[in-house]
Amino acid sequence: MADTDEELQWIAQSRNGDHAAFGELIRKHQQMIHTLTFRMTGSVADCQDVAQEAFVRAYQQLDSFQGTAKFSSWLYRIAVNACLDWRRREQRRERLLHDWSLEAAGQFASDGGGADGGELSREVQAALMKLPAKQRAAIVLTVYGDQNHAEAAKALNCSEATVSWRVFAARRKLKKLLGKHGGTHE
Amino acid sequence: MNDSELEKLLKAAPGPDLSPDYRQAFAEKVLGNLRSSPVHRTPPRSWGPRLVWTLATVGCVLLAFWIGRWHGRAETGQDILTNSKVIHETLAMFPHRVRAIVSDQHGINLVLSDADNVPASPPIYVRISDGKNLSSMVTFSGQEIQIDGQKLTVLAEEDGGIILEGKGVLWSNGKAILAAKNMQIQARTIAAGVM
Repeated sequence: MADTDEELQWIAQSRNGDHAAFGELIRKHQQMIHTLTFRMTGSVADCQDVAQEAFVRAYQQLDSFQGTAKFSSWLYRIAVNACLDWRRREQRRERLLHDWSLEAAGQFASDGGGADGGELSREVQAALMKLPAKQRAAIVLTVYGDQNHAEAAKALNCSEATVSWRVFAARRKLKKLLGKHGGTHE
Repeated sequence: MNDSELEKLLKAAPGPDLSPDYRQAFAEKVLGNLRSSPVHRTPPRSWGPRLVWTLATVGCVLLAFWIGRWHGRAETGQDILTNSKVIHETLAMFPHRVRAIVSDQHGINLVLSDADNVPASPPIYVRISDGKNLSSMVTFSGQEIQIDGQKLTVLAEEDGGIILEGKGVLWSNGKAILAAKNMQIQARTIAAGVM
């Protein structure tokens, strides 16, 4: 779906330094960006920080948005790169982060999904956190962001074949990790 | 579990549930950051210099290969692909840009990405013959290669297995599951130690 006229107007106004217009863009996309950053970081605190960083970067780079792709796809691209940068910064604390992710997933689950949803959320998030960051980004973009492989390739600055491979490898691992949740095994 | 069942399961897991207070405060927090620190707008990236750089480097490497071949006459394309020193030096020269080093009837070609986006992975040696033409190359997992108009994606598995897939071709671990009868494929990971 193309960007709405209202959204295009907010973008134009934001480019001219109108913070209120950029606030509207934030409010429109914040849920989507928080979902992405949570799936990527697995931590409540980090997902909020990275989401904030993503919007600040988006404002700084607004001039590079040419309108050839949807604004949400462009924003996704910035957010996923902010997550990957965050991942690099945090690599040394990987073990600790993993523990946080389990805790954080439980926290969100208890807010949003009831008993079964909570358990499922915890397991899904734990499984996602076991993927290498770039495979996780490919799954988050294609599953939660509903992007096709070509769009995800642009966001991740790699070839479509690389995205296909990352999605293929990630799915295989996730099936192993989440296999007990049913379906007919391949 | 198939792909659609997995996708359904992933989507069924609740995501972050942002409270209305947090939503309202979040936008204000971002805007507060923008107000409190000077914002430097980054101008759109110009592709011109990048393209020139890429073409120049491709030219240099082709020249280097050509000189290497001319200098050491006896060294064939096949030798170069199995010469770990040459491959190692080429990869070091273009980190994350080398998509493939191909040897075919036209000689040696270096295929570079225009961005440093080729993931680090062990090099894979692939040799394909269709009865008439023979191509061999060193490439990497996730890369798409083209053999006589046929596009194939090369994928490495964790256990060292190699998969080649394309239209009408599926080859895995030394076995052609789906391929033209006259197509012969060899593929193996070049161990890190060899490199």
